[in-house]
Amino acid sequence: MNPSEEIAKKAKELLQSKAVECFIGYQRATDGMTARPLFAHAPEEADRLIFDQTCTHNLVKYLLNHKGKATGIAVKPCDSRAINLLLIEHQIERKNVFIIGVVCPGMVETSWNKTSEKVKDICKLCQQHTPVIYDFLVGEPGPEPQAEAYPDVAKLEALSPAERREFWEKHFSRCIRCYACRQVCPGCYCGECFVERLDPLWVGIRIAPSENEMWNSMRAFHLSGRCIGCNQCERVCPVNIPLSLLNRKLEKEALELFKFRAGIDAETPAPFATFKKDEKIGIGE
Amino acid sequence: MSQFISKKGLLSWLDKLAENHSLVAPTRVEGSILFRKIDSTEDIVFNFSNTNLSPKEFFLPPSETIFSVEKKDGQMNLIPEVIEGQTVIFGLRPCDAKGLATLDLPYLEEPGDALYSQHRNKTTLVGLSCLSACPECFCTSMGTGPDDPSNLDIILTEVEDGYIVQILNEKGKALLPEELLVMKDVATPPAPFVSPVPSRGITDKMRQAFDNPYWSRLADRCIHCNICSYICPTCYCFDVRDYTNKGRIDRVRSWESCQSPGFTKIAGGYDPRPDKGPRLRQRFAHKLIYFPEIFGTMHCTGCGRCVKTCPVNIDIREIIQDIQKLRSGKNA
Repeated sequence: MNPSEEIAKKAKELLQSKAVECFIGYQRATDGMTARPLFAHAPEEADRLIFDQTCTHNLVKYLLNHKGKATGIAVKPCDSRAINLLLIEHQIERKNVFIIGVVCPGMVETSWNKTSEKVKDICKLCQQHTPVIYDFLVGEPGPEPQAEAYPDVAKLEALSPAERREFWEKHFSRCIRCYACRQVCPGCYCGECFVERLDPLWVGIRIAPSENEMWNSMRAFHLSGRCIGCNQCERVCPVNIPLSLLNRKLEKEALELFKFRAGIDAETPAPFATFKKDEKIGIGE
Repeated sequence: MSQFISKKGLLSWLDKLAENHSLVAPTRVEGSILFRKIDSTEDIVFNFSNTNLSPKEFFLPPSETIFSVEKKDGQMNLIPEVIEGQTVIFGLRPCDAKGLATLDLPYLEEPGDALYSQHRNKTTLVGLSCLSACPECFCTSMGTGPDDPSNLDIILTEVEDGYIVQILNEKGKALLPEELLVMKDVATPPAPFVSPVPSRGITDKMRQAFDNPYWSRLADRCIHCNICSYICPTCYCFDVRDYTNKGRIDRVRSWESCQSPGFTKIAGGYDPRPDKGPRLRQRFAHKLIYFPEIFGTMHCTGCGRCVKTCPVNIDIREIIQDIQKLRSGKNA
């Protein structure tokens, strides 16, 4: 059986036995070549499930709309880290989620009505090809690369502060504040986002360089030590802002300071949600 | 015989225009094609299907000060915003011109929106016919077409070595002097075939489907970002805030979207539209029911941007097809 058939078969079983009310997976999009999320509520709907290298979405965010209901979900390894993030932050309950993990060969570059054979750059840097949490595994786990690599971040760090400022100013000036990055992010689930608070007013409503910069950098800080690297923010950005680069820089900082990668397990306390009296991290002491 | 301008002639005309106009044209910006004010015709992209964002941003900018109030010598003075200078938008597609004509209906209806009217009056539209149809567009089902000259001031159609020129009104005539044109025996290329959607009768069908569970099921997938509204050539909602600074108040409006979770939240925190289904339905009900019932035309031009850009493939063409197939009634 190929991954699509394996996922469809298992999802159908889960729906038939009423182990889950809904199964969240992928189906073909209307362009006939890329993928889109599928919510199967009845066993026969599971026949439409697919899995291939165009399944770029992280579906875990949707679990927040199904709180308290038994839900099945298909996850790639990066997406599976989001489940651990939501578990450790007490947003979902393990008993309510049936996880089909898929060993991931890396996703390919896709856009509307276009697919390619070219594996995404971000996937080439991936360290996690087997899901970190699952109830049912599709695919054969292989060996993982040994060391974290951040060649993209290193390139950014090699720039002078003035050049870095210019780089981000240029990109943020294009932002239209559609909040697609936030809406798609499994780590962005606040009932009221700081950007929409009126009192205190953190960021004004202007869609203009200064407010755009404030919005994007504050969001990045809220994700430091929490971003699980699924690249959704960058995937959905309608004006191609390299948001993953910003998040990966902060991920690298968290790794270097705390030896911590978000979502690898659901037990290790998150650095910014933990206070250890004796902790020395080499800054500010 | 058609009026014709060579490619070289076009470029030198545009260069000349840029001297005393703000010249806006499609240009390449970090992997996107966007309308931007350009300094040199070298930056214009001619070979493009359509821009990622619509030209709406030059008439209803993402953010704009509506007016200011200043305290001076014990007096409060109201300072209206004045739009300076003339703008030419080059290279917009007929669907986007139809988008502006659609925006005109709510924005120019008396009393017209002061800022929008100024932008509109001070801008001349030089369109480019589409020689091929994008896979996502359906303009011919929404009252326009790939070579529709209405709603433009000048339309150009690319042929070998240059463009067939149609000057469509006085504004166009004033911009492009006739002496720059020659009469040439050149055939107008046929308009490309655009895949239709079954839009006939959709307003009634939408009304019948208002309470259908279809919307909640569809909204399962929607992430409620504002992409569709912001890239849409006809969506026009905005939010207003006052910016205060040392005795001066700027009243600012910025794009806002019915898809945004807080859009309908009112004083006290009450939200009359808290659920995902009705929220998603609002966008399509506005486009296919409310706007046509009030203004007599669809609130969609078939440009296909939302189809192409939606991160989760909420596809208005598919929705129109699905709604047409639904039987009426609550649980149909």
